[in-house]
Parts: sequence; C-alpha cells; structure tokens
Amino acid sequence: MSPPPRRLPPLLAALVGVAVIALAVFGWRASRAPAEAPVPRGAAPAAPAPGAGRTVAHAQGSTVVTEHPAQVVVFDLAALDTLDALGVDVQGVAGEYFPGQLAKYGDAKRYPRFGTLFEPDYEALHAARPDLVITGGRSSARYAKLAALVPTIDQTTDDAHFLDTVVGNTQRLATVFGKEEQARALVEAMHRSIARLKGTTAHRGKGLIVLTSGGRMSAYGPGSRFGVLHDAFGIPPAAPGLKASLHGEAIGSEFILETNPDWLFVIDRDAAIGEGGGAQRLLDNEMVHQTAAWKQGQVVYLEPANTYLIGGGIQSVRRLMEQLSDVYARPRQPVAP
Amino acid sequence: MSTPGPDSPSLPEPGFTPRAPAVSLPQPAQPPANGGALLRLAAAGLAVLVLAGTSLLIGVSDVPWDALLAPAEHPRAVQVLIISRVPRTLSLMLAGMSLAVAGLIMQMLARNRFVEPFTAGTAESASLGLLAVTLLAPGLPILARTAVAAGFAMAGTALFLLILRRIPLRSALVVPVVGLVLGAIFDAATTFFAYRFSLLQSLMAWTTGDFSSVLRGRYELLWGAFVLTVVAYVVADRFTVAGLGEAFTTNLGLSHPRIVALGLSIVAMVTAVVVATVGMIPFIGLVVPNVVSLIVGDNARRSIPWVAVLGAGFVLLCDIVGRVVRQPYEIPVGTVAGVVGSLAFLHLLLRRNGRVG
Repeated sequence: MSPPPRRLPPLLAALVGVAVIALAVFGWRASRAPAEAPVPRGAAPAAPAPGAGRTVAHAQGSTVVTEHPAQVVVFDLAALDTLDALGVDVQGVAGEYFPGQLAKYGDAKRYPRFGTLFEPDYEALHAARPDLVITGGRSSARYAKLAALVPTIDQTTDDAHFLDTVVGNTQRLATVFGKEEQARALVEAMHRSIARLKGTTAHRGKGLIVLTSGGRMSAYGPGSRFGVLHDAFGIPPAAPGLKASLHGEAIGSEFILETNPDWLFVIDRDAAIGEGGGAQRLLDNEMVHQTAAWKQGQVVYLEPANTYLIGGGIQSVRRLMEQLSDVYARPRQPVAP
Repeated sequence: MSTPGPDSPSLPEPGFTPRAPAVSLPQPAQPPANGGALLRLAAAGLAVLVLAGTSLLIGVSDVPWDALLAPAEHPRAVQVLIISRVPRTLSLMLAGMSLAVAGLIMQMLARNRFVEPFTAGTAESASLGLLAVTLLAPGLPILARTAVAAGFAMAGTALFLLILRRIPLRSALVVPVVGLVLGAIFDAATTFFAYRFSLLQSLMAWTTGDFSSVLRGRYELLWGAFVLTVVAYVVADRFTVAGLGEAFTTNLGLSHPRIVALGLSIVAMVTAVVVATVGMIPFIGLVVPNVVSLIVGDNARRSIPWVAVLGAGFVLLCDIVGRVVRQPYEIPVGTVAGVVGSLAFLHLLLRRNGRVG
C-alpha cells in the first residue's frame, strides 16, 4: 500500500542542497574555532590553591581571583578600554568589531576569540581555563554561566551612578592587577577634566541626547545610558521629563522642534557598528532646522563607537569629555546654511 | 475561494459570456440594491476623514483646530501642519490604502482568505532585498533601494505561488502555512546576515512600521503605491475573474498567467514601497479585506473602494493610538497594528468558525 517513491521536486532538492552545504560550512567553522582559540599556556591548568586569591566584590556578587592573574579573557569593550589604559595585557577577547583605539584587539592571531559578547564560546573557555574572565554590559547576562566555569567578575556600569561605577570598575581592575598607581592617576585626571568641563557647560544652554538607528530616533535623558552628559558633565537637560530606559523613547522630529534644545547630541548607532550611518541625513530636516541647536551650529555628533560601544571605559569617558570640551570651546557659530 | 459574503449578488454566473477583450461584470446588476451600499461607503469615508482631521491635530507641537480655518493667525502651527502633520496623515492613508488593496489582490490570486503580503513571504523578501542593498550598495538612492526590494518581493511572491501550484490537494489552511513557512525562511536568511554584520537592531528599526520620521520630502514615494492602487482598481474585474480559478479565467478568454503577473507586480511594488519608506504594518492586508468581504462580498470592483477606505482608517487609527498613549513619545504603528490586528483577526476566525476558507 505504500506510495511509489517520488523524486524530490527540483526546487526542494536545491533547497536541501543549499542547507546541507551551509550546515557543512558552519559546522566546519565551528569545529575549527576551538582549535585556534585556546590560550597558549606553559603549565597545565591548576585550580588556585585555597587562600592564594583575593575576594573581589563586583556588580554581580563576589569572586575569588588569583593574585595577578596571567591569563585574562575579556567580554566587555569598556573593560578592555580600561585595561588598556592601565597597561594590562589580555590574552583573549570576544566579538568581531574593535573600533578606534581598541583596533589592535582585532588581530585574531594575537588575541584569540572566545565567541561574541552575547554568546561566549564555552567550549573554548573550558579548554583554555583562563585565570579570570571579565564580563560587563552586553555580556553581563552570561555572567552566571561563565562564573560556573571560570573565575569571573562583572564590570557592568550602573546608568544612574555612571561615573561612580566607572571609577569603581577602574579601581577594581587596578586592585586585581596591582596597578593602583596608574588607576589613581587616571581617576584624578578624569575628575580634573570633569570639573573643567562642568564649568563651561552649565551656562551654555540645554541639551538633548538623541540616538539614531535605521532611520528612527529615540531620546535619552538624565539617568539613562547616555545620561552622564547631564548627570556628571552638567549639561542641563532640554527634556527633563525623559525617563531612563535602555532603548530611550521613540520620538519624531516634532519632539525635537518642541524641545528646542540649544545643543543636540547625536549618537549614530549605525555608524557605531560600522554600517554607514544616516544620522546627518535624518536630522537635516525642516523641523530640526528651526531649533536653537541647528541655528547655532550646535548639533554635535558624538564619536559613535566610543559612545555607543565602549561607553564605560575610563579612556572612553575621557575621550567623550575631550570631544565635549572641544565643541564647548568653539566660538558660537552663526546660523548654518 | 471562500464563501461569498451575505449580500454578494454579483459573482458571475457559470454561463456568463465575456465581451472581449475587457471584462466588465457587475455594472448592470447593481443599481437596485446599491444606493444603501454607496451611502455606507460614504459614511465610512467620512469617518476616515474625521480620523485624518484628528491625525492633523495630534502631535507634540500644539496645533489648535482653528489653525485650519484661520491659518494667518497661527503661522507656526501652519508650518508644523505643512512640514509634518499633512505628510504624516497622507502617508498613513496612502500606506493603509495600498497595503489593504495589495492584501485583497493576493487573496484573490492565491484564492485564499488568509494570505497577505506579510503571510506570503512578500514583505520578508522585500526586507531581505533592503538588507542586501544596505550591505552591498549602501549609497544607493531610495528609489533604487525600493526597486531592488520590489524585485526581491516579486521573486519571493512568485516562488510562493509556484509552490502553491505544486501542492496537489491544498486545503484553505495549507496555503497560509506555506506562506508563513516561506516567509520564515526569508526572514531567517535576513536575520542571519543581519546577525553576521551586527545589523539586527537596525533591521528591527527599519522593518517596524513607524511614521515618526515622515516629513515633507520623505514620504512622496508612497504616492507611487497610490498609483498602483488606482491601477488595481482599473483592472479590478480581472482579479475577480482570476479569483474564480485558472480554468474559469481561461474559459473567458483571458490569460491567467498574465493577470497573476500583473497582480503580483502590483502587490510586490506596493509592499516594497511601503516597507522601504515606513516599514512593515502587519495584519492590515488580512483583516481589512476579510471585513470588507463580510460587508460587500467578493467582487473586486465593489470591494476595492471599501478596502481602500477601511485600510486608510485602520492605519490612521493605529497611528493615532500610538501617538496618544505615551505622548510626547511614540509607539510605532507596526506594534499597535500588531496588537489591534491580531485581536481583530482572532475575532474574525472565531466568527467564521467552522467555515474556514
């Protein structure tokens, strides 16, 4: 009673063929990755002897970390940025895209990859057994799973107390790696710059922070992930009603017109991730043209990768401040054409 | 095709003889029962105009209603109206109209009530096209982007119809399932490449229907979708005939493949234009034609005006809700339409219970 065997229709056969090839290619890539990935180590992995480490309190609890960990894998660009400033060498990183001053970590031979920020390669980590894994921000959701495998600390920043956590994170890394001296210098320099910046921002008008992505806009206020501009750098918010939320509030150009900021701070998300970016085109419109910010030439495109991707690194905060100091030092421009 | 609506007298009789080359079906049969229908259509049109007026007056900036009457006294309000409100309202109506009519055409071509650009892979293939443009030729002007998206949409929809032809015994529910599966495959491909190039969030942003960036000079492409809708109305009878099946169509001396190709082109171009300018608005092509079929039946000539009017009203309403709920911030129309549309669709399904298809 069984039906006669039928040939696969050509279309289906083609689809199946493509699927098989795709699986084979990615399967091969996946199986190849761990072979490249393990951190080169001289000695066989050994668990730290009890008492050999110190307990480090961090954003998601506390962890016993060996004195001066030698093998470090970092799952956070901000932490990478801070470690770079402290002069700590890391042995492994995650992700594909290392913007600007972190470009050197893009060298996969020198810095093996352990998956992405969102999806750590647990197999590779298990094989490499690093002394310390650092998560934060985008990877903080993977903390628990990583901590079960290797000593892990979480460097997530708290938007509501952004600067305090940046300082705290820097000091934590400094303690772990014995770089207290460098950390103190960095933090002091930062506080000096903040004091200077605050002196210039407070009386130069109100600002609005807008993130653009795929042709849409959202606004961010004090206490939000970009709220440091208001909270720490003293720029009065043009829209004080904005609540803090991870993805901001969806707005249209009319909102910018009504808010009428003196400064419009733009973070171009598409440019941050290296995909063109159309913030200029989006904001160059008849509604925005009527705002004080546009008329005074005070539409500021914040360095996108630094602001959006790295965020809470100690150098990244310094670079953000430098950019703001520059634009605030510029003489006020007359109406833009 | 599903059962005709309650008062649908105008489906052609089997013995109907066409006057070649054009088919004009319903005109003679209409006048007696139609005065009421026309009145109802006018009432619906009026309701949509009221919604449009509301849409003009709602927003972050203050536009008092008397700015419409005495523009000279409210220069700023008039400026906001001209630059932002009128374009937004027009684009909402144009998108709603054309998407709903595109849904109707697809339902006739696929001879199934549950098909629309968003359940047949059309919208997904259009957005795959947009992603391809973004990755391969990011500097392309919007018109060229849309053209590429339309090409992808057409190919995707053609593939859908091709698969449908290969399925021997198709029940009413298999058709949309095939469409959803196909759409999911396109979507998976899009998501995969977007993921590889860290474009997931951008993809979300540009595929979620959202009119917040519509301003004068940024929506005009939608008039193209309107023109296509008018074309659909002009050739409406052919779609009615095509909806009765290939054999029937051929019997009337019409080329079924040609009608399908025409309908397909209209649907694909409309979808591509809307997805490229404002993103995806789900359910409208599904819910509106089904509601209209309950009101006036399945003759395209009679239902297209209804579908257009109600489509415009549906999108207007969703956008007004999205703008009011969290003022001065916005909820994208795609989100609101998803919620409202799915509720309406469930209602339709339960109402039709047992007579699916």
